[in-house]
Amino acid sequence: MSTGFSRRALLKAGLAGASALAAPSLLTACAPKSTSTGSSSGPIKVGVLSPLSGAWTVYGKAHSAGFRLAVDEINAAGGTLGRRWEVVLADTKTEPQVVTEQANRLVREERVDFLAGTFSSAERNAAGPVATNADKLLLYPTFYEGQSQQYHPGVCNPNVFMFGPEPTEQVWPHLEYVVKKHGGKFFLIGSDYVWPRETNRLTKQKLTELGGSVVGEVYVPFNTPQYGAVIDQIRRARAQVVFLSLTGSDTVNFRRQLAASGAKKDLVVWTVDDEEAATTGVGPDATAGDYVSFDYFWSIDTPNNRKFRAAVTKKYPDVIMSTVGVAMYNAAHLAALAIEKAGSVGTDEVRRALEGLTFDGAPQGPVTMRALDHQAVLPSYLAQVRPGWTGPDDMFTVVHQVAKVEPATAQCETLPLAKS
Amino acid sequence: MDRLLATGIDLTTSTLVLALVSLGLAVVFGLVRVINMGHGAMLALGAYLAWSLTGAGWPFPLAVAGAAVGVAAVGFVFEYLVIRHFYGRLFDTLLISWGFYLVVTELIKVVWGSTLKSVPNPLPGSIAIGGAGIGRYEAVVCVISVLLLTAAGAVLYRTDVGLRVRAMIGNREMAQMLGVDAPRLYRGVFVAGSALAGLAGALIAPLFSIEPDLGTLWLVRAFFVVTVGGLGAIVGGTVVGSALIAGGTVVFSVFSPQVFAQTVVFALAVIALRARPTGLIGRTAVRA
Repeated sequence: MSTGFSRRALLKAGLAGASALAAPSLLTACAPKSTSTGSSSGPIKVGVLSPLSGAWTVYGKAHSAGFRLAVDEINAAGGTLGRRWEVVLADTKTEPQVVTEQANRLVREERVDFLAGTFSSAERNAAGPVATNADKLLLYPTFYEGQSQQYHPGVCNPNVFMFGPEPTEQVWPHLEYVVKKHGGKFFLIGSDYVWPRETNRLTKQKLTELGGSVVGEVYVPFNTPQYGAVIDQIRRARAQVVFLSLTGSDTVNFRRQLAASGAKKDLVVWTVDDEEAATTGVGPDATAGDYVSFDYFWSIDTPNNRKFRAAVTKKYPDVIMSTVGVAMYNAAHLAALAIEKAGSVGTDEVRRALEGLTFDGAPQGPVTMRALDHQAVLPSYLAQVRPGWTGPDDMFTVVHQVAKVEPATAQCETLPLAKS
Repeated sequence: MDRLLATGIDLTTSTLVLALVSLGLAVVFGLVRVINMGHGAMLALGAYLAWSLTGAGWPFPLAVAGAAVGVAAVGFVFEYLVIRHFYGRLFDTLLISWGFYLVVTELIKVVWGSTLKSVPNPLPGSIAIGGAGIGRYEAVVCVISVLLLTAAGAVLYRTDVGLRVRAMIGNREMAQMLGVDAPRLYRGVFVAGSALAGLAGALIAPLFSIEPDLGTLWLVRAFFVVTVGGLGAIVGGTVVGSALIAGGTVVFSVFSPQVFAQTVVFALAVIALRARPTGLIGRTAVRA
């Protein structure tokens, strides 16, 4: 065998391997075929699209568990309009094309009444057209970049409702606190896609108003293992705050290496991605003292959250609950309230009923679905990671909070969102 | 000056960590011509074993050794049951080891679950070098990488075992006629490659995210290292390949965005391959 041949073969193999890694696994979430026709009798069927395998598996458990917990509560209270709820769970494998397939399957074969879930912005944007074509609602749970007409129909879509915070809710309420305490020289680092870029654009805007400045802005391709060069840039820029919107394993690798490099003695880290599950992955030694901001933390001490935590611990003891799971929980409860109010599961009726509706039982405090642009009015919390934590129970201390934050108005062509 | 120093340190650490991760792959492919797609899963397995063993109270160095031995054992079983029947059949071993990757990754999910894990940094703190700095643990990993590369070179070129391996690669039939036990040697090489993968996985565990797909992060980069560096030039090729892939990213990201830097480096790797299909130092070293 000639050396030249085997070298090429090896390279080909490497590339083939890379694409095979990206291909979906053969496992599919199976659900029994149902005879329900989405009519006004029989169970209310909800299609839940969760990342149960693939890159976001870490978040997938909380994602589906949050929704199922709410459905269990709804059914235990006798269902809605006297009808039980039935969840049909589909695995998105964290891939937009699988989302399209599965969403279509749920709508056509399972004849679900509405859809909930998808995780990343790309997944939501894949489900948007399906929701529009089938005229079904999609309840979307993840913290996201806000709505701008160019991503229609993933956003600015009258059939899509957002239950997670956008950057002006997740970041703006805490900027002044952090700048006053640690200084205004921010170094922005994020994964290279729309959510980090939008988050940073808005953060920069508000930071400048507060007299701070951006001393560096870096976007990193997905699955980058080594961060030496970036950490070096951060040191040179003499940043006071490293503002982080890396995702998945990248955030873990970056934070562990940042901590190991010793650079953290001169700065603080503020992440807008690392909820309870991701922080668990980074570990206590590399997270101590870091800031995280979200609409929900497991550590929030409110009567609602105490009740919620007890229910999660009982039903899903090995799930690390986080903002995304809670948004799914709130989405189910708000949908139930809306269906009750509308007296129907019809898309137009439920949409109208959801607009302006408030869920007082939300674990983080009352959550209202704004009628104008289908964005949630949410509380916002800034938490600090406790040194030497052992698990989500003692991971965060809330240091700053705002009970009710109105999101920035969506950048959509026509508001209020309405069916054309 | 500080900036130059800092870039130099990054270049060195990135190169040495990548070389450490790629060495097992280079050894197995360079010596016994098996494209071990399972390398990625072996890295992950090493990291998980290190996580379990440190969790069970083992001191970190012992946990690393345990992980290397554990992965070597898995490699041994895999070689004995499957791989040994397929030596010399490049694409068969590619597919089989890819199957191994999938099975091991799923087994990792079954045993450890798919939540992210972390191994505490055994040597927190950093060393100041001029105006720049390097994490103490990172420095140790780099030193180990250098030692392993040196040891691999020494075994191959300075010992009797290395001589036999090279003889066998040069002309298997002739070597067997002269009394070299080829099957045993092949097995030894495959197990050594597995042990190196386990060792690397365990050593990088405190610096990286531990998840079942850990290997995917490294596999493509490691393949580029092995191909660009040059086959047969196991030690030199690994170092040169790592310097191009990891070091190149560091150098380019000094004056261009990170995204661009990574793209440029992979493009350069392809150009390097086109210009020198046998690798940057493939021809000058001992032919495999």
